[in-house]
Amino acid sequence: MSRIIRNLGKWRLGRNDLENHVLDAFLSGRLDRRSFLRHGACVGLSVAAMAAAMKGFGFDPVTSALAQNGKPGGTIRIALIAPSGLIDPVTVADQYGLLVLQQVGDFLVLDGPDLVLKPMLATEWSPNEDGSVWTFKLRDDVKFHDGRKMTADDVVASIERLADPDNGSNALSAFKGVLSKGGTKKVDDHTVAFHLDAPNGNFPYYLSSDNYNAIILPADYSGNFEAEMNGTGPFKLEKYTPKVGATFVKNADYWGGAPLLDRVELSFYDDQQPQVLALLGGQVDVIQQVTVQGSQSLFNNPAVKIIQLPSNAHREIHMKCQSGPFADKRVRQAMALTLDRPRLVQGLFRGMGVVGNDSPFAPIFPSTDKTVEQRVKDIAKAKQLMADAGTSGFDVTFTTMQIQELPALASLIKNAAAEIGINVNLKIEDSGAYYGDAVPGKSDWLDSEFGMTDYGHRGIPNVFLTAPLKSDGTWNAANFKNAEYDKLVTDYVAALDLDAQKEVAGKIQRLLLDETPIIYPYFYDYLTATSPNVQGIQPTAMGQIFLEKATVG
Amino acid sequence: MSATSDGAEAATTSPPAPAPTMRKERTTLGILMRSPAFLIGAAIVLFWAFCAAFAPYFVPYDPLADDLLNTLAPPSAAHWFGTDQIGRDVFSRVLVGARDILTIAPLATLLGTVLGTIVGLVMGYFGGWVDAIVGRLIEVMLSLPLIIVALMVLVALGPSTPTVAVVVGLVFTPLVARTVRAAVLSERHLDYVPAAAVRGEGALHVMFVEILPNIWPPIIVETTVRLGYAIFTIASLSFLGFGVQPPSPDWGLAIAENYGVLVGGFWWTVVPATVATASLVVGVNLVAEGLQRAVAE
Repeated sequence: MSRIIRNLGKWRLGRNDLENHVLDAFLSGRLDRRSFLRHGACVGLSVAAMAAAMKGFGFDPVTSALAQNGKPGGTIRIALIAPSGLIDPVTVADQYGLLVLQQVGDFLVLDGPDLVLKPMLATEWSPNEDGSVWTFKLRDDVKFHDGRKMTADDVVASIERLADPDNGSNALSAFKGVLSKGGTKKVDDHTVAFHLDAPNGNFPYYLSSDNYNAIILPADYSGNFEAEMNGTGPFKLEKYTPKVGATFVKNADYWGGAPLLDRVELSFYDDQQPQVLALLGGQVDVIQQVTVQGSQSLFNNPAVKIIQLPSNAHREIHMKCQSGPFADKRVRQAMALTLDRPRLVQGLFRGMGVVGNDSPFAPIFPSTDKTVEQRVKDIAKAKQLMADAGTSGFDVTFTTMQIQELPALASLIKNAAAEIGINVNLKIEDSGAYYGDAVPGKSDWLDSEFGMTDYGHRGIPNVFLTAPLKSDGTWNAANFKNAEYDKLVTDYVAALDLDAQKEVAGKIQRLLLDETPIIYPYFYDYLTATSPNVQGIQPTAMGQIFLEKATVG
Repeated sequence: MSATSDGAEAATTSPPAPAPTMRKERTTLGILMRSPAFLIGAAIVLFWAFCAAFAPYFVPYDPLADDLLNTLAPPSAAHWFGTDQIGRDVFSRVLVGARDILTIAPLATLLGTVLGTIVGLVMGYFGGWVDAIVGRLIEVMLSLPLIIVALMVLVALGPSTPTVAVVVGLVFTPLVARTVRAAVLSERHLDYVPAAAVRGEGALHVMFVEILPNIWPPIIVETTVRLGYAIFTIASLSFLGFGVQPPSPDWGLAIAENYGVLVGGFWWTVVPATVATASLVVGVNLVAEGLQRAVAE
């Protein structure tokens, strides 16, 4: 015991208040091991420091998740859907384009599958007192593929490029209200400071692999990424053919050590079925993502490994709050009460997911308040709410997209709604028609009074909390306007401390459960399929696949 | 001489006796009733028409009712054709699934036939520059693949059941028009046409009262052939997501919804709808072939 106390004292020396606070929370049992790692990493504690702390106090050290016993060399062949649009780090907006970016580029920070931040091009980071300025220290041994050294100038230029509204970057949706043009400043050759629009307790996530556009490019990036792909990543471009695929060779000078593989081959497909057949036929080694609907033949198949990652990817079923049949919150609550969520997860995902509780706080987020009561199917209560709202039912059109399980879920929602007298007509269209121009008046997504949209995984819930739900949110299909909610979200985003985040999260969860602008039926797992001879690949629920330690054969 | 005249007399006098029966057997209906192809085709079409009309009243399950704890169940005594991805009974869905296609396809065909007949009559009757201009326009339309034209219009207008019927009907119009025009051309030089004109009848009267009744047979054959194509086209559009909307048990839609699980070995989610579509198209084509032969004779 005395040894532990001695270790504790030694460890605390040289740590700031915030870091010591995280340690206190961990020791007192308020943070579990995973949350300690995750939150500690966010405020700038290095994984090594936390491992030392845990070891010193009798916990298991952080071990590499990847056991190595494959042969180096060879080519790994990965199947994915063809990216839409140009491959340009500024504008890539889908999980297919980001897989290409990530082979040749690195982020400042890596958000791993456990949502714990790990150093990448940045070695450490720390906030000022209120979390409005974050300072990142950079590695000094990083070279671009053309041989030049990476410095703070490149980092400033890369992030400014994303924050500049003129460039129309996909990252603007995340940076809005967080980091503006001019906020990124060089301190010295290997230090960069980010001056934020408002205090933000989770800012490192915005510069991590979570923000997949944020790979670091040379300051003089020409804009023609497809031809050069000059990044700092573990693989260098060999050949890129739009709509067909890309090949990469290993970067022997990689700062993290040369990758084990010689080559990476990405093949683009139009659909999931040919990818499944290609994997079963031995033409590819990995499928980036498989859905339960399209890959039944891969489950329980000894010739296939499924890597299952918990994620917070989900579907948002919005109901217009300002007008129409759902304007009364009791009707929205009634609709939410018709869904049998555990059955949805079982039937649509073979159980590979978790139920949602009508807020974006998925169980995977450490800040989620798990004491909030789970909403369960209750037709009697739903009927009572409908009666209280003075309606016995109505006709409404439900609009959504022709992707993955959405049409199936739409049919299930129709059946569920019928139980309380709501007659739902389905309008299932292709995703281009659904999103339209993504502005009110020109988008079925934002204009439909009842509809469903897919949301991919994020390291933190901030985007889920702001864009689709804040009064001025640009993706607010539910037209949800609630001043109290807006205030709570601002508090949540600014909170540096996990306890504070959790407290606000609980309030947000209860408010959303009561208002129910959006139904969150479930959060489904991210599934990657590989052949059995593939080892050491590290997918993330964002869609990245880290291959530095991968082997095949 | 007498032998010759006897023979000639026999030749001229003997036919009257069997003539009535011959004439009776030579009626179109008579020929059809003796055509196995037509009978088989008609039986298939009638079976599906019966399902379209009455299946909802006798199928074992509600075709829309889901059962998430019994998804993708293989065929069994409880579910003869198994269940689909959200646990719906495939057997019930296939029988009821005839309803949409057998509503939309005939409507589309009717529309195409009516419009095509009007255009064809005008082209054939007036000839000259009217025929030349409309003829070139039709050639332009026919140079584009039918399904692509239909897709473009549906993308622009958004899919809905009436839209699909109208679009497919319009796409078929030039095809029918071409056939009708050819039939009109073979009629318009016959004596009764100028005779009507001499009587002072207007163009509309000559086209629709004089010519149209004489070109019914090719129009009926064309209509039946088009019906087969309409079924196929509409099923394709549903498969591509531009036809009937979920949760309809429509066949094309069912194939689209479930073909993804086919490689997983869940054949029963797709095969029944496929066989149903194929059988209906074959049935209609057999009927068309029977009609064609009957008209030709």
